[in-house]
Amino acid sequence: MKNNILLTLIITALFSCKMEQKQTTGKIESIVCTTGMLGDAVRNVVSSDVKVITLMGPGVDPHLYKATQGDLKALTDADVIVYNGLHLEGKMGDIFEKLEDRKIIIAASDGINKEELINNSEFKGAQDPHIWFDVKLWSTAVKHISTELAKQVTDSVANEIKANAKKYTDQLLELDKAVFSNLNALDSNKKVLITAHDAFSYFGRAYNFQVKGLQGISTTSEYGLKDVSDMVNFIVDRKIKAVFVESSVSKKSIEAVVEGCIAKDHNVLIGGYLFSDAMGEYGTPEGTYIGMVKHNVKMIVTGLK
Amino acid sequence: MEAFWIILVGSLIAVSCALLGSYLILRKMAMVGDAISHAVLPGIVIAYLLSGSRETLPMLIGAAILGVLTTVLIELFSKKANLQMDASIGITFTWLFAIGIILISLFAGQVDLDQDCVLYGEIAYVPLDLWITDSGYNLGPRTVWIASGLLLLLLLFIWKGYKGLFITTFNEEFAKALGIGVAFWHYALMGAVSLTTVVSFESVGAILVVAFLIVPPATAYLITNELKKMLFLSSIFGIISAIGGYYLAVLINGSIAGAIASIAGLLFLIVWVITLIRKRQPI
Repeated sequence: MKNNILLTLIITALFSCKMEQKQTTGKIESIVCTTGMLGDAVRNVVSSDVKVITLMGPGVDPHLYKATQGDLKALTDADVIVYNGLHLEGKMGDIFEKLEDRKIIIAASDGINKEELINNSEFKGAQDPHIWFDVKLWSTAVKHISTELAKQVTDSVANEIKANAKKYTDQLLELDKAVFSNLNALDSNKKVLITAHDAFSYFGRAYNFQVKGLQGISTTSEYGLKDVSDMVNFIVDRKIKAVFVESSVSKKSIEAVVEGCIAKDHNVLIGGYLFSDAMGEYGTPEGTYIGMVKHNVKMIVTGLK
Repeated sequence: MEAFWIILVGSLIAVSCALLGSYLILRKMAMVGDAISHAVLPGIVIAYLLSGSRETLPMLIGAAILGVLTTVLIELFSKKANLQMDASIGITFTWLFAIGIILISLFAGQVDLDQDCVLYGEIAYVPLDLWITDSGYNLGPRTVWIASGLLLLLLLFIWKGYKGLFITTFNEEFAKALGIGVAFWHYALMGAVSLTTVVSFESVGAILVVAFLIVPPATAYLITNELKKMLFLSSIFGIISAIGGYYLAVLINGSIAGAIASIAGLLFLIVWVITLIRKRQPI
């Protein structure tokens, strides 16, 4: 057995070799993105012959994502890896940071000013990673991704990327305005968004909503009985009409709240599914970032009206 | 090359776990690995509260301390409170895990903090996580070095302590009569188990480690009652699972850890059926 180990070490030593330098051929052939929102953004800014792969598909909670053998292959073959950052990807994010001298690695959250990040805890470096719920903020992240991509390619391709990015971020800014005006149809005392886990802080800040989640950011921390009864009292007091479930989080906890409210003679509805950490199925309108935001806003407005 | 690194790390961890797992099964403590995987949670939370960072090193230290504490508590409950081993394992890890959950709710509800996102590694990332020296030399995946170092330490421990481990595992009373430190060997083994599991969790993830600790030794135990043969066979079964599991994962494009654990289970089933058939034949 010991000989085997020795052999292994020798083999390891033999295979160790001088690092290949990062390729700067000026051509990007494949890009791997972690979340659906990132995949959609990148798809919109690069030309159609670039392969864009999304690791976390529809309905996948980034928290519970497990890499497959194919994902590993996609990552090793990729020229560029785009990820969200702010610890959304957990330990995978650490690995990406280490890959920086071998591949082009872009963290979307790097494009956002530190002051604009929300940190609901008292710990440094524990910012909320759900930056895509503030459409305007997300557009700066998209802009950052496209600028970084443009740096890596020849001038003509870079110009194409920049033009596409301009077009896409303009669409996002327009969407931002539309979200604003749609949500303003609600009275300000009705602007309360209740969901299963705390993913909507950026949404709340951007569009003047009070947001409340039953669980903290981590989906591991269980909700307590007191959380449920506090939530029920809050809903009954404020006469809130609807609460929301998320496509990637179990709806059991929110159902407990609804039952609690009904027991207190306040009829609260489940206002439908919101897409939080993952987008809808490919090929449906909700499978794109813009479609997903529109869906969420529509659900919120009809639910709370 | 990716295939080689993954299978190599899988095999190294498999052998480390198979060796320790053989002793654990013989001591009726097979679930200790699973217990540790849950019980490290408060260690992680406390390490985070103290250091304010989710870097690997503080998480690993917190987890290792709790790993050792888990085994100490298990031993304490079973010896001093006269509880059965399985009951004392059950009490210890559910209690520690619950403390971890309460700590998160109290202090860190707004921080994404649990074993999965700060401690457990993933065997699929092994080829990505290279150790590159300052002068630019690629020494291969970091985890290959960690897993080989771990296995070397374990082999040394089992080689030097073979006799003590052997006697205390099979006949505690006899060992006491001979004046061999039963408690010493127990804690030495449990220390090795905590270290191995926590380090392996960080390299390849929890499910795989728990599976490697139990399934290959259990398979070997079906065939042999001799400790040396059991150590050898369980290592072989572990390595076969790592190789077979990798290619199963390629075939179905699934989770590598899941596929390896499935192959280990399948091997157990096959060996079990074979032993059943062989038992019948002489009649």
